[in-house]
Amino acid sequence: MGTIKIQTVCGFGCGSSLMLRMKIESILKKHNLEAEVFCGDVGTCCANKCDVIFISKELSERIIDRAKVPVISIDNFMNQAEVEEKTLTFFKNLKNKEG
Amino acid sequence: MKEIIGIDNIKVNVNARDWREAIEASGNILLQKGNIKRKYIDDMIKAVLSLGPYMVVTPGFALAHAKPSPDVLQDGVSLITLKNPVEFGSINDPVSVVLCMACVDNISHINVLKAVAEKLMIEGMIGKIASCRSAREVYSLINE
Repeated sequence: MGTIKIQTVCGFGCGSSLMLRMKIESILKKHNLEAEVFCGDVGTCCANKCDVIFISKELSERIIDRAKVPVISIDNFMNQAEVEEKTLTFFKNLKNKEG
Repeated sequence: MKEIIGIDNIKVNVNARDWREAIEASGNILLQKGNIKRKYIDDMIKAVLSLGPYMVVTPGFALAHAKPSPDVLQDGVSLITLKNPVEFGSINDPVSVVLCMACVDNISHINVLKAVAEKLMIEGMIGKIASCRSAREVYSLINE
């Protein structure tokens, strides 16, 4: 299995998705997890190769039917507890799948 | 200390009756400074209309911006606090702090946004900014 790719998504791929990316990167670091995190926009994110999409709750409805990977919706991009819990759950599920 | 947001780009206790006026007010700072053309403000408002209020990324805080475009003449960020919080229709309403961001492309602004985001992500920061009584106070919180 190659590097895990996490895509954070917002309207244009350059604003709030960057904030979310930073939050996730800091959580990965804290828990010694490895993944590549990159930003995408809501229009094209489903065509980008990745293992999971993190997106705001409001935008998630726009892609949930099209996405080929798990879509994790976030209420509060800056809430350490929420982003941490959802990130760790993703990795846990990944491990279960592998095992 | 490296300045993240200039003192001239911060306004506190701004009067705005709704989210459109809040975005306008934050955009007007960059318009007056020559960072953007008027159309960029309209684009930020259109972005909320077409994509929804997802820009309210955390309680009380909206990141107003549109796509990088020729209407952005120079990268810039401005920050306002509202006298009366406004509703965007988001789960994170009401909003009392608006950060307006304009960028010429998808890469140039990243360091500034990262620096701003790092500050804003500090627990309780949005509330602290919202309760500042002068631009100088906000300036100190963000830049120090």
